[in-house]
Amino acid sequence: MTFRPDDLPTELAEALERARPRLGRLGHRLLFFSSVGSTNDVAAGLAATGDAEGAVVVADAQTAGRGRRGHTWFSPPGAGVYVSLVLAPAHARHSASRAVSLVTLMAGVALVEAVQQVTGLAADIKWPNDLLVGRRKLAGILAEGVARPAAGGYMSFVVLGYGLNVSPAAYPQEIDERVTCLETELGRRVDRPMLVAETIAVMAERYADLLACRFDAILDAWRDRSPGSRGARVSWESPSGIKSGVTDGIDDTGALLVRSGSRVERIVSGEIRWGA
Amino acid sequence: MDLDQLKQILELVREHELAEFEVEHDGLRLKIRKDATGALAVTPGAGAAVPAAPPVAGAAATPAAITPAAVPTAADIADSEIELAVVKSPIVGTFYRSSEPGSAAFVEIGSTVKKGQVLCIIEAMKLMNEIDSEYDGEIVNIHVENGQPVQYGERLFAIRTK
Repeated sequence: MTFRPDDLPTELAEALERARPRLGRLGHRLLFFSSVGSTNDVAAGLAATGDAEGAVVVADAQTAGRGRRGHTWFSPPGAGVYVSLVLAPAHARHSASRAVSLVTLMAGVALVEAVQQVTGLAADIKWPNDLLVGRRKLAGILAEGVARPAAGGYMSFVVLGYGLNVSPAAYPQEIDERVTCLETELGRRVDRPMLVAETIAVMAERYADLLACRFDAILDAWRDRSPGSRGARVSWESPSGIKSGVTDGIDDTGALLVRSGSRVERIVSGEIRWGA
Repeated sequence: MDLDQLKQILELVREHELAEFEVEHDGLRLKIRKDATGALAVTPGAGAAVPAAPPVAGAAATPAAITPAAVPTAADIADSEIELAVVKSPIVGTFYRSSEPGSAAFVEIGSTVKKGQVLCIIEAMKLMNEIDSEYDGEIVNIHVENGQPVQYGERLFAIRTK
């Protein structure tokens, strides 16, 4: 099925225009879809065309919204903010590999800050970048690294997609207990176009931090927003089975440290669950 | 001790999560020790005069996997003898052979691949990195199992180039 971009709705166009001075490297190219399969797939397609850094894809609904490792991201019309960005963290002034390693934490920080800016709600970050209110998921991020032919070789892009739940929706039963949305938490309506514009603007600001190698600013903000990354009991799947331990912060590459008996495990991938 | 045996020992240590392992055979002493983070440090050496190796520099950043390039393995030699291209991991992370659980693997042994074709995904910091083939050819070996951690520089695939 092919999806064609639609004209920007007036309210979104106005919100983006107000945010324009803060959009930095993002948004010189912006595609809006009233409905699309997956914003990440569209963004990956843009990345394939080469000079795509900063491209933004916004959708009102996704028919095949994706999460990590085949999880579905439930994206019904008008219920959330579904955005994908094409980033090139390897463009960082120096320490490109550290910038790439921190791009997903950067995105979590930006999203939590934008939500607070627009709504006042202070969500928590769960390692590495889920947004939670209590134990319920408010937003998720899917980042996919792709290498595409470019002038003089290959260019690495990161397609960074985020889904933010805004309005109550008929969530599938199996996730209903584990998700929440802004309007449920706040008990009032939220201006979705403003939220779209603000998330892109704060992403642009934090992305500028990343490219300028202001890593400590990103890590400090992340630590402030993630109370569960210290002293919380967690479990995770390792190749040798389920392990558990107590979180002990993140290191400078963003890896989660977990104290397990006398060992400190350094977790760089996979999913963390609360509790033993 | 030949390289095949050495490789078997390393795999046993990894599989059984042994903290330390030492063997002396035909004048060769081999000591394998995990540091506090679970990284393996390997000290091959002749006779008993070899001091225990300190953990390899940067080993703290490499949990539960064999430090790459510490010893040439039988696979190294086998691959180079028949002039295979080796695809190595550009990052530390988790190796996935398919886009999601339950879907078909990107490639199998015997698959014909083209330059730019996705071979696997390595997840690090919840960034799903597509690893593309740099070669046209045929997959003749897949060195890592689905879902296993991989280290920087660890061999992933051998490709007989065309």
